[in-house]
Amino acid sequence: MSEPDTAMSKVEGYYQDYGVRARELKNEGKNIIAYLCSLVPAEIITAAGLVPFRIRGDVNEPITKGDTNLETIACPFIRSCFDLSVKGWYDFCDGIVIPHGCDSMARTYSTWRYTLGLPYSHFINVPHTVSEPSMEFFREELNTFRKSIGRFAQKGITDSDLNDAIELYNENRDKAQDLYELRKPDPPLITGTEMSKALTVGMSLPVTESNALFDDLLVELRKRKEATVSKAPRILVDGACIDNIDFIKLIEDSGANVVVDGLCIGTRDYLPHTDVGGDPLDALARRYLDKINCPRTYREKAEGDYEKDLASRFGNIGSLSEKFKVDGVILYVYKYCDPFGFEVPARKAYLDSLNIPVLYLEDEYSAGTIGRLRTRIQAFLEMIS
Amino acid sequence: MSDYFAGIDIGSTMTKVVIMNEGIISSIVGPTGPEQRRLANKVMENALQQANLPFEAITYLIATGYGRINVPFADKQVTEISCHAKGVAHLFPECRTIIDIGGQDCKGIKIDLGRPVDFVMNDKCAAGTGRFLEVIADALGIAIEDLSALALKSTQPAQISNICTVFAEQEVVSRLAEGVPLTDLVAGILESLASRISRMVNRLKVANQVVVTGGGAKNPALVKALSDKLGYATLVPDEPLLTGAVGAALLGKDIAQKAAKKGLPLETKKRSLGEIEIL
Amino acid sequence: MAEQQKTEERKKRRTATEAASRIGGMVRAAIGGTVRAKQEGKKVAYTFIVCAYDEIIRAMNIVPVWTENYAGICGAKRDAERFLERAESLGFSRSLCTYALCGLGFDQWREDLGDMPPDAPWGGQARPDFMLSSGQILCDPRNKWYQAAQQYMPDVPIYDVGLPYPLYEDDIEVADVQDYYIKYIVAELRGLVKFLEEQTGKKMDYDRLRELVDLGERTWNLIWETYDLRRAVPTPMGTGDAMNTMVPMCFMMGTQEAYDFYLELNKELKDKIARKEGVVEDEKYRLLWGGGLPSWFALTDFNYFNSKGAVFPAETTYRMIEPIYRLNMPDTNDPIERLAWRWLGYWTYWYDKTKRRAGSEPDVERLIQYIEDYQIDGVVMHEAFSCRTWHLGLIWQLNQLRKIYKPIPVLILGQDGKQREKSRELPSLILESDIIDISSYSEVDTRNRIDAFIETLEQVKKNKADRR
Repeated sequence: MSEPDTAMSKVEGYYQDYGVRARELKNEGKNIIAYLCSLVPAEIITAAGLVPFRIRGDVNEPITKGDTNLETIACPFIRSCFDLSVKGWYDFCDGIVIPHGCDSMARTYSTWRYTLGLPYSHFINVPHTVSEPSMEFFREELNTFRKSIGRFAQKGITDSDLNDAIELYNENRDKAQDLYELRKPDPPLITGTEMSKALTVGMSLPVTESNALFDDLLVELRKRKEATVSKAPRILVDGACIDNIDFIKLIEDSGANVVVDGLCIGTRDYLPHTDVGGDPLDALARRYLDKINCPRTYREKAEGDYEKDLASRFGNIGSLSEKFKVDGVILYVYKYCDPFGFEVPARKAYLDSLNIPVLYLEDEYSAGTIGRLRTRIQAFLEMIS
Repeated sequence: MSDYFAGIDIGSTMTKVVIMNEGIISSIVGPTGPEQRRLANKVMENALQQANLPFEAITYLIATGYGRINVPFADKQVTEISCHAKGVAHLFPECRTIIDIGGQDCKGIKIDLGRPVDFVMNDKCAAGTGRFLEVIADALGIAIEDLSALALKSTQPAQISNICTVFAEQEVVSRLAEGVPLTDLVAGILESLASRISRMVNRLKVANQVVVTGGGAKNPALVKALSDKLGYATLVPDEPLLTGAVGAALLGKDIAQKAAKKGLPLETKKRSLGEIEIL
Repeated sequence: MAEQQKTEERKKRRTATEAASRIGGMVRAAIGGTVRAKQEGKKVAYTFIVCAYDEIIRAMNIVPVWTENYAGICGAKRDAERFLERAESLGFSRSLCTYALCGLGFDQWREDLGDMPPDAPWGGQARPDFMLSSGQILCDPRNKWYQAAQQYMPDVPIYDVGLPYPLYEDDIEVADVQDYYIKYIVAELRGLVKFLEEQTGKKMDYDRLRELVDLGERTWNLIWETYDLRRAVPTPMGTGDAMNTMVPMCFMMGTQEAYDFYLELNKELKDKIARKEGVVEDEKYRLLWGGGLPSWFALTDFNYFNSKGAVFPAETTYRMIEPIYRLNMPDTNDPIERLAWRWLGYWTYWYDKTKRRAGSEPDVERLIQYIEDYQIDGVVMHEAFSCRTWHLGLIWQLNQLRKIYKPIPVLILGQDGKQREKSRELPSLILESDIIDISSYSEVDTRNRIDAFIETLEQVKKNKADRR
């Protein structure tokens, strides 16, 4: 029997006790800033000398306390995050930053602010369209955030600070990219479950520690002579902030390998780089508004051609499917998700045009749905085999 | 020498077994209880007895349905989607759409070239399933088997506004007290159920031929209401409860034939129906 | 039998004002007008309300098709289900905005048939030449709906207007950020004008736009003054009516017809006040509709409230104006800039006041102001399940209101046997259903809740009275 993977077991530890490192750092006197969604520039938080911490939910924890202050028609993932926050799971946090990702975030900002009563809170008004005026606007909005969090950190954030942070995060993305490369072989050298856990954990650590962890992981995984799984249908999981790794595991347990994704805690956030060499705020604006491909950002119809429009909106999924030799896509959307919900027919049409089979699942955020999911996933895998 | 294939379909309400070679040799239908493992053993035994075969004679056995994981002696587990598709395509080669109305769930399956290509399921809410009828029939003091005949007598089906089973039950009882004829109420209930089902099925692009299976298929009034709502003619197999098990057996046959062609061994479980510990 | 009763009740929805009763006809004419306009070759656009572009469209003689309105009509006529089901069959989840589902189902059906769906309510919705979305703080569906509809009308272009406003923050003043917000909004509106010029082949007449913006501003002031009249006791007009009288405000802004409508409403209310004619003869409870879109198919619930002596002198829903003279608009002759400042001014209107009350927040501050201005006894909220935009945060608002605002003095018996005065918050009620999906609505349940609320109000009234 081989030695247990030390980096992998570290990932497991950080995953099972999500936030343990942030809590340690808090006890050492650091300030932890919680955030939701991929649209928050964690670079700015890091440049302020604070530790960004991405909040997640827990499908195994029934939502109870959160409901006294937040409607049940909100996105169930956001509700779970709120519920856990209210229950004190993230009580080591000093602040909360929420972007204009979607209605469930934008319209609950006050609720988060007043209910948690943290020393710092901020809402980043990310515009919805990609154009020169909106880039300019967003740059100013990010500057407002920079000044605001600088006041809280009692530290002016210089361009140099930003550039340093950007460099660290770009490194993080490079390393994530390297991890993704390990999924290209058939069968992949890292399972979808392992990968999702690593990427999730990465966002709960200071970026320097995340970089170090990814480095260690890469060293370990590259030593793997052979895959730990056998050949099986290769699946891409598409969706939003799917942090329920039991779902990834279910797909793999049903006889498939999840080799790539289009998720927030995945390629959506981990692959796009921030440009270097120019004004750092401009670069950040560009990355978060344009480079991140998310349905909440409206993309101008490409050259007035509907087919081209689909390609420009969803082309990243097509490209990933090709690069990772994907046999099928599972599109997993939570109930009450408007940005993705409105796109389901268009996404399906696009994948159909590429002859990529797709399974669309609409689900609630709960561990109780695993049985129903199992049948559907298995039926889909039977269909594409 | 004949090859025998078995399919066992453990649904949430009914368990079905078939043993086939060229056609169906034996078939058993019984109510699923809580002790699915013991029941699986029992119905398998009964089916073998009926067929006058030892268990060893079964070349391949596939389990399907909600309780398929509770069949330890199955060589393989396959979802009811694939099995129904196989079974119905075998009986109706022109079939393109299957609607299975079960006791506690309801499915729509799209078929192309004999294979399933898309599906929709409702296994969460009683209102689109046989359970809905059970609850209502109970509330009205009628046997489920009598619902169809009653409904067919109606000339003016009542409009049931509530979609939730619990509220629909309340509504039906109070309307009965108001003097609405029983036949109209029952017809209304069947229309309501047909509406729910067609709403779900319409998410697939329905195409001819449309085949209805499951317990709901044995209710001609329901099938007619469904047909009307969809705007498509429907067909019903002679044994609407067996299509899943038939499909399972046929899929087993495919696997066996594939292995034989490739010259590979056929991996099967031990052919034993010993006592199973109920944990 | 019960069904017959329901139909009769629906036909007889009573409005308190004559003005409100005319709205149905006006809307119907407008919808028919869009179909005719299309036939006559005029440019027709799908539009959303409250997107700062009303005057711009009118100035260019573009005929707006208010898709939210049409969905509301289908809902009010209880004929939305077939369109919702159609959208569902296309792959859209039923949990999405039901206005959008209705519209998408309708549009795809119309495209499929090459003609209006059979028996389309009020003649149906005209096929647009272009669609004006809005990516703004208001609503995700406004960003995604028309884009989704484009799948069925790939030849119809979209312009997505970005219209942000800054959310309330403790450590930031609007003055700190307004410059770049205004700059962006102006750029977006100019971009819209350019798009419309391209689509229509005509140039914008800025003099005309200036006139219409000026008319719009006067209309804003007039509406505010008119609604302010509802402070009277008894109140001459309730939220039931306001759900009708919002039509010119939201669908006809920048037209003389809209201005004239409020002029007449103003006169009618003044007449009623002079004659002390209220919505109900015996006004017992004055309620604030504190949030949420109404159930368009259950507007008779307002009549039910009325039957218990409860009236709604004020609402926050569809009150999309504030007096212009309080918006701190700069001196500019550029109509686009005025629209931008009007936009920003409206959305940040309550921020200054909020800063002066601990624990307050703009929406809550607004509730408090209305409670005081209109002498409100209780607050009603409506949670419509498919609309996250307007319905997230209502529970929190009520909780926060209860925390920071306790205007009712009640006497309670202390343990020492002596009477003490304590401050209580206002009673509140949350109703639940949807904007147009009728399957979410239970009349029995709703009326039970209303009854229980009325009893609470009565109890509070008694406790207050005992003080004398």
